[in-house]
Amino acid sequence: MLSRSVLSWLPGLLVLGLILLGLELAVETGWVRRALMPPPTAIALTLWDLLASGEFVAPLLSTMELVFTGFAIGSALGIAGGLAMGWFPAVFRLLEPLVELMRPIPKAALVPPLMLFLGIGTTMKVTSVALAVLFPVLVNTLQGVRGTDRVMLDAARTHGWGTAHTLRHLVLPAALPFILAGMRISLGLALVLAVLAEMLSGQGGLGFLILDMQRSFLIRQMYAWLIILAVLGLALNGLFLLAERRALHWQPQSN
Amino acid sequence: MRALARPSSGFLLILALLLLWEVSARFDWMNSPNWPPLSVVLAALARDSLGGELPLLLGGTLWRMFAGLLAGGAAGVIVGLLFASLPVTRRLFGLTVELIRPIPIPAIIPPLVLFLGLDNTMKVTVVGLTAFFPVLTNTMQGVRAVEADALAMGRTFGIGFWRRSLHIVLPACLPYVFAGFRVALALALVVTVVAEMIAGEQGVGHYLVLMQFAGRAPEMYATVILLAVLGYGLNRGFLAFERRALHWYFALGAQRN
Repeated sequence: MLSRSVLSWLPGLLVLGLILLGLELAVETGWVRRALMPPPTAIALTLWDLLASGEFVAPLLSTMELVFTGFAIGSALGIAGGLAMGWFPAVFRLLEPLVELMRPIPKAALVPPLMLFLGIGTTMKVTSVALAVLFPVLVNTLQGVRGTDRVMLDAARTHGWGTAHTLRHLVLPAALPFILAGMRISLGLALVLAVLAEMLSGQGGLGFLILDMQRSFLIRQMYAWLIILAVLGLALNGLFLLAERRALHWQPQSN
Repeated sequence: MRALARPSSGFLLILALLLLWEVSARFDWMNSPNWPPLSVVLAALARDSLGGELPLLLGGTLWRMFAGLLAGGAAGVIVGLLFASLPVTRRLFGLTVELIRPIPIPAIIPPLVLFLGLDNTMKVTVVGLTAFFPVLTNTMQGVRAVEADALAMGRTFGIGFWRRSLHIVLPACLPYVFAGFRVALALALVVTVVAEMIAGEQGVGHYLVLMQFAGRAPEMYATVILLAVLGYGLNRGFLAFERRALHWYFALGAQRN
């Protein structure tokens, strides 16, 4: 079983290795300018230095904290809003036009105004991330709540379930696949907005470091930090998929 | 129709919020020079978009966005068709593609600046990279959803690989490709603006940051409003285009997802 999965990965790893080797040779023979693209081995050494000295911990934690806080706040608001709008028609009528008005605003464009109001500190960054996360989660939650099985709802009413009980034990689980799909989209957006906010505010975290290293012409360091950021993106995605599968274990596997 | 007869609570809420914006700014409740009244913002919007530099900047932004979207989207369709119909290619290159995908796009801009400079080439490349992934994913899904019967029929009639790809697989997965493009379109606008904000001195994104630094709040909000309208309009336009281009698909009673 294990050897089989290793075998299926082998061609991909081989190609990746060849690409890196080609890059290394291209730099060594002077075909690609060293100032633009240091050889992969040099980047690997720099990366190793960053990892071994523990220098990577503080910026990584700072970006992770930003992503998690913004993601949690945005998701909580989105789920609460989506549930309320999906369940109470009055709330839907009240908030739907506002949501439709706010949704098409590219959230990245909100970072400059937010910087004027909230400064360049944590509040601004968390708000940017939370705003980007809020809308996809809200819209998906709404869709999920609407899709709840009518018959089940009638059955709940027949059994005299109260609103809170029905929401908690019927609507929320039924909407969960939609909510999680929305959260998965938002996770990528959260990372994008976090990196952007760090770059524009010029302080803290991986995004700022990558831009700063490029402007200081510390190219090897720039690529090393970029790799750390890519691994963070990969890990967050993987963790979320794992959590999603656990949370939806009762659902039949779709593929 | 009903909304015309009796304004719904939602529209009243929006009106109230806009009124609150205007009043709070007029009486300076926020105590901030960065909170201009709505009327001033709208005046700035009208001024800048009628006589000012905004239309030119917007044109440049849109040009970069569409160039990147088309290039990246076309690459996504081609690679998606290849990956899905020739599993060997996916075996070989899938890993590399999956390793690039999770990099947050603003982080790709600094290295690209080194290679491609600050101008159009870099920005179109960034947008292309953004558009590539959703189109790739959806195209692959689309190919998997092609009916086995249609493929078997093609094979029975002795249609070769390329004609089969072009005349059976491609039309059948077109709705998926379009869905991928719609996702990519929204991302492309955001990423174009982001690239303009971070690097170079072009387009609406740079204008936005410039106005922020210059402390010209009305122009800044006007730009945000313009971008929102643009995002909305692009999505609407795309939906209409999709309806026309895929009329046979919707005629079969398919629901838009």
